[in-house]
Amino acid sequence: MIFDYRDSPYPIRPDIPAAHQRFWARLARPGSWWTGAERVAIASAVRSATKCEYCQQRRAALSPYTFDGAGQHLSEYATDDLLSPRAIDAVHRIVTDQGRITRRWVDDNADHGLSREAYVELAGIVVALVSIDEFHRALALPLEPLPEPMAGAPDGYRPAQARHDVGHVPMLPADGATGNEADLWQGNRTANVLRALSVVPDAVRAWLDLAGAQYLSIDGMGEFGQPGGRAINRMQMELVAGRVSSYNECFY
Amino acid sequence: MLRASADLTETTIDLAGVNGNPDAAATGVTYGRELMLFAEAVASRNEDRLRDAREALNRIAGPAVLVDAAGVAANFQRMVRIADAMGIPVDNMADESGQRIRQELNLERFPSARNSLTKQPV
Repeated sequence: MIFDYRDSPYPIRPDIPAAHQRFWARLARPGSWWTGAERVAIASAVRSATKCEYCQQRRAALSPYTFDGAGQHLSEYATDDLLSPRAIDAVHRIVTDQGRITRRWVDDNADHGLSREAYVELAGIVVALVSIDEFHRALALPLEPLPEPMAGAPDGYRPAQARHDVGHVPMLPADGATGNEADLWQGNRTANVLRALSVVPDAVRAWLDLAGAQYLSIDGMGEFGQPGGRAINRMQMELVAGRVSSYNECFY
Repeated sequence: MLRASADLTETTIDLAGVNGNPDAAATGVTYGRELMLFAEAVASRNEDRLRDAREALNRIAGPAVLVDAAGVAANFQRMVRIADAMGIPVDNMADESGQRIRQELNLERFPSARNSLTKQPV
């Protein structure tokens, strides 16, 4: 059984392992732009990024885009031919230095084989892994072994209504949660953070599922007092959220 | 969201807790000091600090609070990466309440502020 928290020193709400299990199943399957094996390789690269000395040095540099040694750094991780050096670099930057990612860098990647859609799916995997692994690290629990990938090809699905308005990548417009994407948000009630991954709708579904267990569901976000099923109230939640965001230098 | 939840519950808080001031974090928020230090320790990736902060929060608030705080902290380790990796701007930069909070916390010092402060190419 995966995500079995019965040996945890702290009692863990059952909806949390259930959400983690669902993500592990999603991770192993082919996505829209990556195979199952590539998706699991992206997840593996997340774990290597947290130990990457080069990335720590690059994070301390004045500019991450003029810091030497990237080629050697990436060749150390590109060992199985599943991911290109640009894909590995994208994973490492999102994990270790996300605040200095620029549209120019995303565009340059797109000009050299890492399409914006593939980048979004990659980012969706990275951030989901981060949230699950960080939950374990926060509670000193061992990390769950990555799943065995499933065979199959990516489906190449891209919502027709996606367009490039703000940010580094195309997204659904506020009124674009229609058709196959009608479940992503209600009517025009959305926010840029919800739209951010929406050119890969399953990436949004994955983050909503995880957020519903680890933080709040979309409906729960309307509760500013004591959210149901939680031991901490909304102010306590937002103090934690705010300190993590501020420490990470996140303006949004 | 912290300001909104404080206003709606008519609670006096000090937003400086978000920037790491322990006394401010404790103002109006139960276990605020320990929650803030735990969140900071998760984000810092300093395992010694994290162990100490985890033990302190568990001791004073109990395991259910610790687990929920871990969930929220881990969730926002993700959210900041979504926002910055996708380069999304703040949804409504003209909102006066948001402007006051950003000014109070001096958030424009962050590199990712450019995603909201710079007119982006389309």
